[in-house]
Amino acid sequence: MAYRARAASSVLILLAICVAWEVAVRLLNIPQFVLPAPSAIASTIARYRDYLLSNLLDTMFASALGLAMAATFSLALSVVLAYSDSIREAVYPILSGFNAIPRAALVPLLALWFGLGMVPRVLTAFLIAFFPVLVPTLTAMVTIEKELWEMLVAFGASKSQVLVKVAIPRATPYFLSSLHMGLTSAIVGSVIAEMVASDRGLGYVILSSTSRLDTPLAFSCLLLLALITFALSKVLSLTERRVARWAYRASI
Amino acid sequence: METLLKLRDVEVRYGDGNGGLVAISGINLDIKRGEVVGIVGKSGSGKTTLLKVIAGLVKPTRGEVVYNGAQNGGGFRGIGMLFQTPLLLPWRTVLRNILLPIELRGEDVDRYVARALELMERMGLKGFENSYPWELSGGMQQRVALCRALIHRPSLLLLDEPFSSLDAITREDMWVLLQEAISYENYTTVLVTHDIREAVLLSDRVVVMSGRPGRIKVEVTIPFRRPRDLGLQYSREFNDYVAKIRELLGD
Repeated sequence: MAYRARAASSVLILLAICVAWEVAVRLLNIPQFVLPAPSAIASTIARYRDYLLSNLLDTMFASALGLAMAATFSLALSVVLAYSDSIREAVYPILSGFNAIPRAALVPLLALWFGLGMVPRVLTAFLIAFFPVLVPTLTAMVTIEKELWEMLVAFGASKSQVLVKVAIPRATPYFLSSLHMGLTSAIVGSVIAEMVASDRGLGYVILSSTSRLDTPLAFSCLLLLALITFALSKVLSLTERRVARWAYRASI
Repeated sequence: METLLKLRDVEVRYGDGNGGLVAISGINLDIKRGEVVGIVGKSGSGKTTLLKVIAGLVKPTRGEVVYNGAQNGGGFRGIGMLFQTPLLLPWRTVLRNILLPIELRGEDVDRYVARALELMERMGLKGFENSYPWELSGGMQQRVALCRALIHRPSLLLLDEPFSSLDAITREDMWVLLQEAISYENYTTVLVTHDIREAVLLSDRVVVMSGRPGRIKVEVTIPFRRPRDLGLQYSREFNDYVAKIRELLGD
């Protein structure tokens, strides 16, 4: 009941913002190419439904593929780096250094190497989403309490047993929650790549529509991106609570 | 009784060179099979370090640790350990937590389920096998940890301040359960504690340590027959031993 009340008040606040927005645009006579009213955005979405949907799916496909690659690679790399201290000490600084490169700046290079197709978009999504997933996952794996570690050693556990039976299960909720960060990062990545080096996807639609001063279309893309990211985030939350119920014990 | 574990002139130094800290020094200790040895000392007396040496977690920088279990009878069945905190894995059910040592030894887990359930029943945990640790009270969690320490019938049971985070009444319950478990399967036990009453009630012999560097000051034999009744705590002889050890610990 409390949840419903909260959801209802969120919806009410959103509605109020939309109404205020609509009224302000009309009263102040703001031109549509500067700030379109919510009603204009809604009618644009309705008019360009199929076009927007196919570009949305395109963006989502690139983002999802990039995120899946980031998740898989981060998990695998975390396991390797958690297993071997010496590899971790050698590799982690290099990764941090790589993280210091603004990934958006790599898009032109990726386009140069891989053309304007799906590849640079997926790769950009992957490159941006990778680090936010790796760091919490790896940290959770390597910060097992000293006493727990000693107990496992006293019970005769090998290093790989500690990894499989303790480090990986322990890191699971951190990994899953890092996917939220990864998801938004991946979408940012594919949208940037679409703006720079693509003729498809919502990033491309935003860029081309603003260059034509078709601001309502750009706003439609933004709205769709926000909605789909929000929805996917909710799906992730539900998965988290299912897979790692124990990590949410305080709220059960 | 035969000697299970012999420590000869054991020294542990943390860090190296002149900046190193000598945690324990000149330790000579024999532990017989089936004996319960209590180790008491103030904090900084090196009693936990001594326990870690016995557990094989810390290698002595000098001296030797001779473990006879492998040659004599029964074979080496490993160590069971119980710490101040239960250290249960929250993603595993109680039963799977108890079976963890079996899994780590690569043995067939199914063969130990019956034993796990029997241990749980003896510890008053019947019916909780599919619960998660965080659904249990602190005392129950520590009983689960005790089941886990015993599941593989360890040849040596090591307890590091096992009950110090429990309330006084729960602690007494644990004393009874632990004594029952020890006499039922005749475990050789080393108990590190700063609770003198606990040491006197549970041990055949109390080793008193003095600090910096940690040395064995004296060993006191406690003659009461085990298992001991909780009421023993209120007898004069018991309290004489407590007072004597308290005096030996100094101030």
